Amino acid sequence: MTAARVFTLALLLGTIAFAGTPAMAEKLFKRANDLSYGGKESLDPISPNRFYEVNDMIYSRLIRQDDNGEPAPELAVSWSANATATEWTFKLQDGVKFHDGSDFDAADVKYTIERIKDPALESPVASVLDFIDHVEVVDPLTAKFVLSKPHSGLPLLLMDYRVRMIRDGSGAEVKKTGIGTGPFKLESYDPEGQTVLVANENYWEGRPKLDKVIFTAIPDSEARNQAMLGGQLNYNTLTLDQIPLYKDNSGFIVQNYPAGGWFGLVFRTDTAPYTDPKIRKAMRIAVDRTEMMKLMVGDGNGMTGCDQPVKANDPFRAKLDCPPDIEGAKKLLAEAGYPDGIDIEVHTADLEPGMVQFAEVYQQQVAKAGIRAKITLAPSDGYWDDVWMKAPVAMTSWSARPADQILNEAYRSGSSWNESYYANKSYDEELDKARASIDLNEARKHYQEAQRILFEEGGTFIPYQQNGLRVLTADVTGLKPLDEDYIRWHLVDMADQ
Amino acid sequence: MLALILRRAGSSLLTLVLVSMLVFVGLEAMPGDACTAHLGRDGKGAVLEACRERMGLNRPAAERFIEWGGRLLQGDLGTSMQRDKPIAEIVGWRLRNTIVLSAVAVLVGIPLAIFLGVIAGLRRDGSLDHLISSLSIIAMTIPEFISATILILIFAVSLGWTSGVVTIGYKAPVMELVSASILPAATLTLILAAHIMRMVRSSVIDVLDSDYVLMARLKGVPRRQIVWRHVVPNSLLPAISVIGLTIAWLLGGVVIVESVFNYPGLGRLAVDAVGDRDLPLVQAIALLFGLTYVVTNLLSDLVALFLNPRLRTFRA
Repeated sequence: MTAARVFTLALLLGTIAFAGTPAMAEKLFKRANDLSYGGKESLDPISPNRFYEVNDMIYSRLIRQDDNGEPAPELAVSWSANATATEWTFKLQDGVKFHDGSDFDAADVKYTIERIKDPALESPVASVLDFIDHVEVVDPLTAKFVLSKPHSGLPLLLMDYRVRMIRDGSGAEVKKTGIGTGPFKLESYDPEGQTVLVANENYWEGRPKLDKVIFTAIPDSEARNQAMLGGQLNYNTLTLDQIPLYKDNSGFIVQNYPAGGWFGLVFRTDTAPYTDPKIRKAMRIAVDRTEMMKLMVGDGNGMTGCDQPVKANDPFRAKLDCPPDIEGAKKLLAEAGYPDGIDIEVHTADLEPGMVQFAEVYQQQVAKAGIRAKITLAPSDGYWDDVWMKAPVAMTSWSARPADQILNEAYRSGSSWNESYYANKSYDEELDKARASIDLNEARKHYQEAQRILFEEGGTFIPYQQNGLRVLTADVTGLKPLDEDYIRWHLVDMADQ
Repeated sequence: MLALILRRAGSSLLTLVLVSMLVFVGLEAMPGDACTAHLGRDGKGAVLEACRERMGLNRPAAERFIEWGGRLLQGDLGTSMQRDKPIAEIVGWRLRNTIVLSAVAVLVGIPLAIFLGVIAGLRRDGSLDHLISSLSIIAMTIPEFISATILILIFAVSLGWTSGVVTIGYKAPVMELVSASILPAATLTLILAAHIMRMVRSSVIDVLDSDYVLMARLKGVPRRQIVWRHVVPNSLLPAISVIGLTIAWLLGGVVIVESVFNYPGLGRLAVDAVGDRDLPLVQAIALLFGLTYVVTNLLSDLVALFLNPRLRTFRA
């Protein structure tokens, strides 16, 4: 071998060794966005078309959930209420900076919260926080919320995944700039192509472990799985039927986490014969909920419940027990004047996967109690307009809501989403008392009592809450199996290959 | 000749009007309307009324159709509900991307199909013909979404030669689109080439049996010259209408292929628009597909007329 050849070889090997140095590798995390708003995805956290995958990573809330769903400090370090729960004072984290370098302070809190009420924005959060009258800036690190009526659950509602802090006065441009205080900041924004985030070097909890996050718009769920399998993504949400794609593959981790979305069957409490609470209860207690969940989503992919509209890990969920009670259901029907069973008509539509099967499983389950259910399949288009809240018995579908929100929005007398037309003074009083009690344990008691009342005589049948599913590449660490808005993105890391 | 062309163009125009009517009536006949579809669960009471007012859905269907058609004639496709943008702008880019994808598939697929078809025809019943013919039948019968998935599994997941799913945005430069469209174009090429190849093969066989080829052979014309001077040009004529039909089919095929590969073209937009219940956009895309179908058919007929004087006799 000549000297020249040896030299060339050495040079070549050196180049290869240098290129392969792992310490230099940039930690790049690849995700997909599902384009569910068709390119209108907005970086404004309270927009009806919020770009939720991105917004979770670039903004922060005052209060976030800890792993158990209890309120924990984020941009607010502590909070307290006056004796009547009409004024709440929040102490803010010192030294937090927005992505543009400006300081985060109480004026930003005032601006963010009061902006939510602007009717021109049509924000879905407006009705959730409508009891906040205004916010006072006490000093740069203290903000006082003045409420129009007592509310002890304010900290819980501020954990809403949309109530994220933006800079004072930035409302008009925030949907494009994405300037927040979160662990990542926006580098480029194209909801129909690629959106790029980079680590926020000045993040107040420490620099994120990842250097860069790239979102690619992939609306088709099959295509997202192809991309995941082909190594083009590190993170993807799944549906039940997609689990086998990853199940026995050591390159992937499938996570199953409590999420709280649910299907329900709504009996209109203002329409005969469902005006009789006995009939409503008979319709619900005849069902074997464990069996129903097993048939619908499989064991371990959900959490059975007793008609609580509240998700499994909500701190205010009532602990109830409701084994199937065929005899009890028959007895209630007989007492209500139907000793020979009853004919009912259940309306459903093929709006979401499982919505028709749900009605079919229900039909089989209640047949044993003498309830003869006829299923009417309504067209998906116009279902929410023509059938839901019109037909006496109809399927419904909800995503997870905090206890206070769902119990007030969907069951309080006269509320706008009261799909079962439920009206019960003592139920409403429990909610009022819950909101007025400063002590969280006291509030918990009232929220749980309200759920017990719903089980005893409400009109909505909710057998289980479904879990969420996601898949990660096996090199991802620090991402706990919890719902999306629980994830601490600055802790997520990727193992060196 | 000119009168014939004009008549064909006229009937194409009539077809288009009928297509646009069918699309309109079809969407009208569906339960609910654009507003209930778009608003979903929020679509009740005052919000729904306001939306119907804004979209002009309170007026009779016939009146709306005439207005829609009128604006269409002026080149105004309307506004997308979900995207809040003029449809022409949304559709323009995707149309370009789909044309790029189809062009790659056609430019590779048609020469390949002709080449294979001629070989198979010349080697009729030989083992090469059997191989090509059976492969083409397999390629024709496997649905696109399966061949697409198989191609991804082989070339992206196992071998890692290329990326499986397209990750570039719809405004990407043409060269990037071309390199991103390798696998999707291959999927389309499979089916496209198989159809055309079978047509070319059978017409090569017909021509080989014809009197003039026999004559040429008896005169001692070299085989190479028989094939290239007489057989190939004559056997391509019947293939032209198949090529036209296949290109028109391509637009239906791209709907599936673009969705599987996440390719930012018209087909994926069609699926997204249906998913978003963006009815004005669905209407525009359906019409555009109809237009392409009619135009490619017209063009292939005209090319055939131009190349084959015998077809022009039905003028009377």
